[in-house]
Amino acid sequence: MSDAKGTATQPLRVSVVDYLNARPLFSALADDPRVALTRGLPSEVAREIAEDEADCALLPVAAAADLGGLDLLPVAAIGSRGPVGSVLLVSEAPLADLDTVALDLSSRTSVVLARLLLRRMGLSPRFVGLPAAEALAAAEGRTGAVVIGDPALQARAKYTHVLDLASAWMEWTGLPFVFAAWFARPGTVSEGSLAMLRGARDRGKDARPSLAREHAQATGLAEDALVTYLNESIRYELGEAELAGLARFYDEAHAAGLLPRAEVKLADVAAAPAARPPSLDGLLARAFDGDRLSGDEALRLYREASLFDLGACADEARKRRHPSDVVTYIVDRNVNYTNVCTTSCRFCAFYRPVGHAEGYVLSRAQLAEKLSEVVRAGGVQILLQGGLNPELPLEWYEDLFRWIKSEFALGLHALSPEEILFLSQLSGLTVPRVLERLRAAGLDSVPGGGAEILVDRVRKKIAKAKCTSAEWLGVMRSAHQLGLRSSCTMMYGTTDDDEDRILHLLKLRGLQDETGGFTAFFCWDFQYEEGTRVRPGDTGTLLYLRTQAIARLVLDNVEHVGSSWVTQGPAVGQVALRFGADDLGSVMFEENVVSSAGTTFRMDATGMEQRIHDAGFRAARRNVRYEWLTEPR
Amino acid sequence: MSFEAIAEKVRAGARLDEADALALFAEKDVLRVGALANAVRERRHGDRTYFNKNLRVEVTNVCVASCLFCSFAKLEEGMPGAQTMRLEEAWAKLEERLSDPPTEVHVVNGLHPGLPFSYYEDLLRGFKRILPSIHLKCFTGVEIHFFARHYGMTYEDVLERLRAAGLDSLPGGGAEIFHPEVRQRISADKATADEWLEVHRVAHRMGMRSNATMLYGHVETFAHRVDHMMRLRALQDETGGFQAFIPLAFHPDGNGMKKLPAPTAMDDLRTLAVSRLVLDNFDHVKAYWVSLGPDVAQVALSFGADDVDGTIVHETIYKAAGRTAPDALTTHELVRLIREAGRQPVERDTLYGVVREYPRADAPEAALKPRERAARHRLEVLG
Repeated sequence: MSDAKGTATQPLRVSVVDYLNARPLFSALADDPRVALTRGLPSEVAREIAEDEADCALLPVAAAADLGGLDLLPVAAIGSRGPVGSVLLVSEAPLADLDTVALDLSSRTSVVLARLLLRRMGLSPRFVGLPAAEALAAAEGRTGAVVIGDPALQARAKYTHVLDLASAWMEWTGLPFVFAAWFARPGTVSEGSLAMLRGARDRGKDARPSLAREHAQATGLAEDALVTYLNESIRYELGEAELAGLARFYDEAHAAGLLPRAEVKLADVAAAPAARPPSLDGLLARAFDGDRLSGDEALRLYREASLFDLGACADEARKRRHPSDVVTYIVDRNVNYTNVCTTSCRFCAFYRPVGHAEGYVLSRAQLAEKLSEVVRAGGVQILLQGGLNPELPLEWYEDLFRWIKSEFALGLHALSPEEILFLSQLSGLTVPRVLERLRAAGLDSVPGGGAEILVDRVRKKIAKAKCTSAEWLGVMRSAHQLGLRSSCTMMYGTTDDDEDRILHLLKLRGLQDETGGFTAFFCWDFQYEEGTRVRPGDTGTLLYLRTQAIARLVLDNVEHVGSSWVTQGPAVGQVALRFGADDLGSVMFEENVVSSAGTTFRMDATGMEQRIHDAGFRAARRNVRYEWLTEPR
Repeated sequence: MSFEAIAEKVRAGARLDEADALALFAEKDVLRVGALANAVRERRHGDRTYFNKNLRVEVTNVCVASCLFCSFAKLEEGMPGAQTMRLEEAWAKLEERLSDPPTEVHVVNGLHPGLPFSYYEDLLRGFKRILPSIHLKCFTGVEIHFFARHYGMTYEDVLERLRAAGLDSLPGGGAEIFHPEVRQRISADKATADEWLEVHRVAHRMGMRSNATMLYGHVETFAHRVDHMMRLRALQDETGGFQAFIPLAFHPDGNGMKKLPAPTAMDDLRTLAVSRLVLDNFDHVKAYWVSLGPDVAQVALSFGADDVDGTIVHETIYKAAGRTAPDALTTHELVRLIREAGRQPVERDTLYGVVREYPRADAPEAALKPRERAARHRLEVLG
């Protein structure tokens, strides 16, 4: 197969995790004109290969399984055949006494390995995801921490109980553990490129002493220890034993429901490019059975499966989680407290800039009237969202929340991540601190709006001033860690394509694996109206049904999926109940944002229940935690 | 009969009986029924999905019948809202469209007691004079029956005279629900089931094609719907003159049954799917977008339907009953609707002759990489 990549005119785009133990594999590529090298955190490297910004990647093996469809390049691995020293579970108490384990989120592979090992020991502590620095700090008393990299190298001596995860794996399986390796999409890397990567590996191994010295100078770690670490603890070969170890890891992780089914597939550069893909029926059967799907597999189903096959799999997934055939709905009201916003998203017809004559902030009297109506109508919560209005400080929200909580018996589902980030900037407080204060003032849960598509290439085009996908996910992570639940959403149909939508779902699934804080997922397509500055992209009723169905299948760790009748209309909202949804959303009094975009539908509780019944389900009212407030009927 | 046994019959091409049809209506999982109907639809038509450029004209809403479901008819001339067009007004509707001429004019009216028969003959002649190529699909079986009684002629006489004036085929309206238990309640004072069927029998024998409808979702049961389909299937076995079956959803606004809820989308899809499976001798099943709304019509194209009707313009019957669908869809919008449903749009004439085949949405693009495909899609929209 001819391959023009890997020349000075068309360099091979190589993305690598920038950890000390990876440097021997890529340091020699840094100055090679045939290579365009980018370094980043595992999540960033995964994103680049997923979004086709890299041709090959030095990637943790769990990330490769999540994406799916990647070939393992026969070059090198970052592995270990015994104690690795840099991937540890540390604690003050013995392992068996731990009730909580804090996980350093920057390494999915280590997190999965830790869970497998604990499970094998018959231990089931609670897992909490935390940033690297905080994870280690949390290791006190009956809380342990999985730490990796430099913090682990330093932590070893400080804790009474230290489990070296690679060592434990070796004891269990008799096989080496592979943390990361080179991966690429099938057919993208030539024999020449492989030779280049192998050459870099050989030169890099020779450079280990100097790499250790540089790192010691930069971090203050002991140079000797680092040399030993690179020379002895880490093994760079990728032989039969490593392949078997990796295959075993994928099998165990899949059996435990922690990773999609993944095969160790070595790239065969001589193979014909059009190798027969596995049968769609086989993939459908696995989806039907609730097997975790990789991104690649989900994309294939999303593109190729028939409407009915996709619907049947999603309906089955719904049934597995909700065998009682009950579809819920909520009586609540969407209150948009202000339309003044500094973000000016191109797809929004609702906002007005600061100082605009049509800008408003609802007064207490106006709010009181709206909220009283909700209470009178038997409503149980309000969804309070608004623009990013710089004239409303954090204290304004605290007062408002306290007032609402003291005057009305209503749940407060309020402030999307964007608004919380804005309050953090405005107040100079951290996001967790803002959330704590809002919770103290009465915040019950966080709506999942503003996610749009969690792929920054798309976000930059449609909502330049909005937070990045990492920031959005970060707010949700903080909220979940404080014990606040939230929903999550996806608005598609602008400049996104099917790959972007699947990536979005993978990011939500990844965070949900960490926190378990999402209650429900809703999606809808962009509602175009004159005045918005984004043109509609992929839309249509069938796409909506397919998208909701694939979301139900990918988000195997999210309890509920709701259909969005407010945007799709009551008819399609009802049909979507057979495409994986177990909730019909809310009987809305008003929804200013969508209705300014020309979508106005109305439905009362009777209409909701009629549609639920006619779709073959029983109906129950719910609250924001999805608890039934009425007996299903 | 289990669902699997019915599915086996369908796959073997065997005919479904009443019990099968009832079991399909009772099946909770609408997707299963839909998938089966879709298989039949794809066996007959592949991805091809038909539409036409048509013009709806309703020249009078004065009507001697008092159907409970109707929000359109006014009983007498001179009552508020009663309207009868002068011929020139009716013709003007076509003249307005000559820059992008329709291939069909579809006329449906109230049963007006005070117009001379020549009014209808002149109406047809006028349309043909304006656009000689136009296909005139006019007057339901109920109207033809009314003409025969009112003007003292046989069905043959009425149809011959109208054909001489330009009539090409009959629309399928006025069938409602045939079963007397229902028909007596909702439309006692117009053509009975047998009379409606006889009009179509005569028309078919004279070489005219026609369509057949069913108005569902009011006081009828599933058994009544099945009975309705069986009667149509029997006549079709005899004559082969029907082209399309068109289930029409009852809309409750402004009529004698306004307390009833409208059928939901699930019922719409289920009814389409069952009719596709039962009416094995009908070539086409139509998802009438005016009644379903364009969004459900898209889904219907995977539940057995292979036709979405046409551009319409000027529809007033469903409008009076509170429809929320738009007044008209342009050819461009219909093509997009069909493509978004993953089908190939085919513009047809009234007798299903091909006027223009559009490429499938994803056919030329499937070869492109996803990113390029998305970019192209956007260019199309912006352009």
